[in-house]
Amino acid sequence: MAKISILTTNHYSPEGNRIIYGGAERYGVEFTKMLVEMGFDVEWWQIGTGWESEIIPGVKLRTIPESEAPLKTLPRLNQAFYEKTVDADLAVYFVTFLAYPQVKEKSISISHGIFWDYPGFDTDLQTDTERREWLRRLYIALNGPQKVVSVDTATIQWAVSTWPGLFNKFEYIPNFVDTEKFKPGDKVLGNNKVRVAFPRRMTSVRGINEAAYAAEVLTKKYKNVEFHFIGRAHSDELEKQLTQWANRSQNIYYYWKSPEDMPRVLVNMDIVLIPSKSTEGTALSCLEAMAVGLPIIAGYVGGLSDLIINGYNGLLIKPTPKNLVNAIDYLLKNPDLRQKIGRNARETALAFDITIWKKRWAEVISEVLGK
Amino acid sequence: MSTNGKHKLTAMMLVRNEAERYLNTCLSHLNVYTDEIIILDDASTDNTSEVCLTYPKVKLYRNEEPMFIANESLARKKLWQLVEKSNPDWILAIDADEVFEDQIESQIGYIMAGDDYDAVEFRIFDFWKSMTHYRVDGLWNPWNRFSTLLIRYQPGKVYSWPDLPLHCGRIPMEYRSHRIKRFQSNIRVKHFGWADEKDHIKKYAFYKQKDPEGRLQAKNHLESVLDKEVKLEEWTESKSLSF
Repeated sequence: MAKISILTTNHYSPEGNRIIYGGAERYGVEFTKMLVEMGFDVEWWQIGTGWESEIIPGVKLRTIPESEAPLKTLPRLNQAFYEKTVDADLAVYFVTFLAYPQVKEKSISISHGIFWDYPGFDTDLQTDTERREWLRRLYIALNGPQKVVSVDTATIQWAVSTWPGLFNKFEYIPNFVDTEKFKPGDKVLGNNKVRVAFPRRMTSVRGINEAAYAAEVLTKKYKNVEFHFIGRAHSDELEKQLTQWANRSQNIYYYWKSPEDMPRVLVNMDIVLIPSKSTEGTALSCLEAMAVGLPIIAGYVGGLSDLIINGYNGLLIKPTPKNLVNAIDYLLKNPDLRQKIGRNARETALAFDITIWKKRWAEVISEVLGK
Repeated sequence: MSTNGKHKLTAMMLVRNEAERYLNTCLSHLNVYTDEIIILDDASTDNTSEVCLTYPKVKLYRNEEPMFIANESLARKKLWQLVEKSNPDWILAIDADEVFEDQIESQIGYIMAGDDYDAVEFRIFDFWKSMTHYRVDGLWNPWNRFSTLLIRYQPGKVYSWPDLPLHCGRIPMEYRSHRIKRFQSNIRVKHFGWADEKDHIKKYAFYKQKDPEGRLQAKNHLESVLDKEVKLEEWTESKSLSF
């Protein structure tokens, strides 16, 4: 049985006190299930003090106490992983920069989208020298593995326009949705409210502030409109603020659900907001809402434009506060259009079904292992 | 058939002299969304047992001599064995002065339907000298700690408790391991144990006598019970979902 060792940064938080199931974590779980189904022996590694856990029953996750991250890379973690996985037949670097500076003989890395487009990145790397060095390391990380699997085309276009030699390095495997689990359904009858959902991590790059502004404006304008903010925040403090903020308003809700409970929740929504401003791939939450047949308002960032064609299966906007309010208002006033766009969204989601994702991955893995 | 369709939810509770406190509030809530409430009355000298028995879902057991004060671990084990006999799918470990937000009623069935975790954690809010405000300073901050209160029962497994006279925890050791898959819920728990100022000195003295050196609980946490200046926040109830 061939062995696959996977390196990530933090599937679980290194302290273990906050448990977050974000998109990357869910990708990790589905990826593991797929590899086990394919008959591989799988193990995971991440940063941690030496504790062990399981990523799914029977698949171990071990930890390496190396968290030093000069210039947003983790060379010591990379090296420790290299040394500890001598019996691996294939290494998967779950985040592209983990493949710096050295990769195993047979290896694949995964790009979850452009992550260097958020404004803080420019201040995180302050000098020209630092930025040049970071770029040099990114090139080494992208050039090392036999294949870099990218979840969107934006990353590939950026990398190839910067380094044309990387053209054949990339494989485009967009994110997935299980269209059997996420499908249109009947709402629980109740209060006849129109519900707008923000089913994301509550962070600025996802457009939480713009969405919160839109919620305040539009719940004042319409008494029959509810806003549902569904997801965890990056800190306890922010979760506190969001809870208290939502509790002050009659039609604003803040909560989160386990990923397996989300199909039921989405079925009860009418419009979904994915107003990301940066660090975005082909968001699972976007695909899930599409599969449920909901009209989506998305920012034209990262991989979202691989999923949404403006006016056909969603609205694609520059996610400014005003644009977001106007786009939601437009859909609130046009229920027939919501229906039509939602139907097209469902049709589109079928092209991203998880069975297709698994097939594409199987091809890439067998190509790399066969070399 | 369970209250929530598929899964049998058994609440377990260890009580002693709770009749004049929050027992009625607690049981009237539990009675809505649990299937069975297993209570071990630790030799109450008031009418706690009578109050318990007014709720049809309660199955009451009684110690003739107080057990918790002498050996918490033994009392926990005894309650656990009684709960195991009720053949639950999920077990809710709750105290007689704790009440969930109302939204638990519509959501508990969906939480128990999950396959991806075996333990569910909640944030507990300590109401302080009032029924309207909770304490947030230092170790009292409810926002940065979760407690495991709901666990999936797996018949045939061996469960154990730490051999401690105090603070041995309300769930078996096996549910505290790194390997247990957990879900942290946004649904909050109101704890009224410190809501009445009259109880403060009594509780402080009890813990101080049981654990004078502060070995079983951070000493500064116990001492902070007597703080003159504390930081409070006003409770706002979260709205219930209609789906």
